[in-house]
Amino acid sequence: MECVVQGIIETQHVEALEILLQGLCGVHRERLRVHELCLKSGPNLVHAVPFVGPVASEVRLLCDLEHSEPTWTVKHIGGAMRGAGADQISVLVRSMIESKASKNVLRLFYGLGYKLENELLRVGFAFHFQRGAQITVTVSSINKMLKLHATDEAVPVTPGIQLVEVTAPATPENYSEVVAAVSSFCEYLAPLLHLSKPGISTGVVPTAAAAAASLMSDGGGTTL
Amino acid sequence: MPTKWVLHWHPNPGSTVNSQILNEVSQCAEAINGVKDGRWKATLTLLKPNLREDQSQPGEYPRELLGISLPEQPNKYYFILRGPRIVTEADSSIQVIMEKLQSYKSRIALYFEGYQYQLGDFQLRVGKVVSSHSENLRGIVLEVEYLPISSMEKASQVLGEFVDIWQEAVLKRSLPGSFMHNEPNLSEYGLGDNYTPQHTAVQYAYVMAQLFASQSTQAVRN
Repeated sequence: MECVVQGIIETQHVEALEILLQGLCGVHRERLRVHELCLKSGPNLVHAVPFVGPVASEVRLLCDLEHSEPTWTVKHIGGAMRGAGADQISVLVRSMIESKASKNVLRLFYGLGYKLENELLRVGFAFHFQRGAQITVTVSSINKMLKLHATDEAVPVTPGIQLVEVTAPATPENYSEVVAAVSSFCEYLAPLLHLSKPGISTGVVPTAAAAAASLMSDGGGTTL
Repeated sequence: MPTKWVLHWHPNPGSTVNSQILNEVSQCAEAINGVKDGRWKATLTLLKPNLREDQSQPGEYPRELLGISLPEQPNKYYFILRGPRIVTEADSSIQVIMEKLQSYKSRIALYFEGYQYQLGDFQLRVGKVVSSHSENLRGIVLEVEYLPISSMEKASQVLGEFVDIWQEAVLKRSLPGSFMHNEPNLSEYGLGDNYTPQHTAVQYAYVMAQLFASQSTQAVRN
C-alpha cells in the first residue's frame, strides 16, 4: 500500500519548488519521463466487486523513457482506505502493487484481452529521500498523445500547470507513521502549493508567487 | 548464465510412470558421480480466463495463461501465452497483481520437485511432477545444466554428449521408458542464442504440454 497526496503548481514557480525540494531533501533530482498506459480488461472478463458486481479490471503499464533502454513496470492501484479514521487524515492511503516486467509486457496484456483505455506522458523530475518514511516527490507536466503511442508529439493537457505528487510506501502496520511523515513534509511546501488527497483539487495557493520570489532571490536559504 | 536442457520421462507404450522409476533415475545421478546438493522446486500454474458465464465467446481470449516460478530466480515470475508465443518476465509481485485483477484464475498447479546434483561443470536436477489436485506422480523431469557457457548453440554439442552418457546409464537399468528432449522453437518466442531464465520457462511449458498429451493418449488407450 502507499500514502499519497497531490497538488498543482504553475510552471513559472516550478524552479522555486525545485530549489526548495533540493534544500529539504539534500539529494539531487532525477529526471522523469514516463509513458503511462491504462488498460482495461475486455467486456467478458469478470472482476467481481462485492456489492457492485462484475466490472472491468484496470491495470497501468509504466514505461520509463529516461534510460537508454526503456524499462517497464506493471502497477495496480486498488481501493482507498475507508472509514471515519481515513476521513480524518489529509493523506490518501490506498492499496498499490508494482512489478517490474520485461519489455513485451504490453503485448502480454493485449494477448490476455486487455484494451488500451488511455495513455499519457509525464515529464518532469523526482526526488527520492528518507524523512520519517521513504518519500518520493514528483513534479511533472501531464501530456496527451495526439497519435497512438506518439510520445515525441505529446502536448500538455493543462499548459502552464504541473502536477506535484508526494507518495510513500506503507504497510498496514506502519501507515499511521507514514501518514504523519508525509503530512509533516507537506507543511514545508505549503507556501508554494497545497497538497491534498487525489481527486480533491484545491487549486494553486495565493502565496505561491511571493514564496517563489523569495526562494529565487536567495537560492533556498530562507526558512519558510 | 548457464545453458540448460529440460527433459521429461516418456514411458514405453503400455507402461506408466511410478515412484520406483523415480528412485532408479535418482540413483543414476549418483551412479555417474553426481554429488547431491540440496532440494529444488519449480511451479507451473495453469490459469484460465474468468469469463462471464453467459457471454463467453471462444477465441476472444486465450484458453490458458501459464505462470511459472523457477528455483534459480526466486524473485521473478514468468508468464507464457502459447498461442501468440509470448514469454514475459516480471517481479514475483506480479502474482499479487493478477490476483487483484481477477481476470485469470488459477485452475491447476504442477509442482516439479526433487534433488539437484553437481557433476563438475554440470548441474542435474531430477524431480517428480505432481499436481495440486492429487499426490499421484504425473511425470519425471530432468534438468541438465552446463554452467560455463551461455550460448545455446555452443553448448548444444556438450549437452548432447552428456545426455548420451546419461541415457546409457538409464538404459542399463532396463526401465520401461526413456528421457525425451524435444526442444521447443525458442526463437518463435523472440528468444535468442544467449540463454536466459525465459528459455527455461518456455521449456517447462513445453514439458507440461508433453505430459498432458501423453496422459491423454494413455487415458484413451485405457
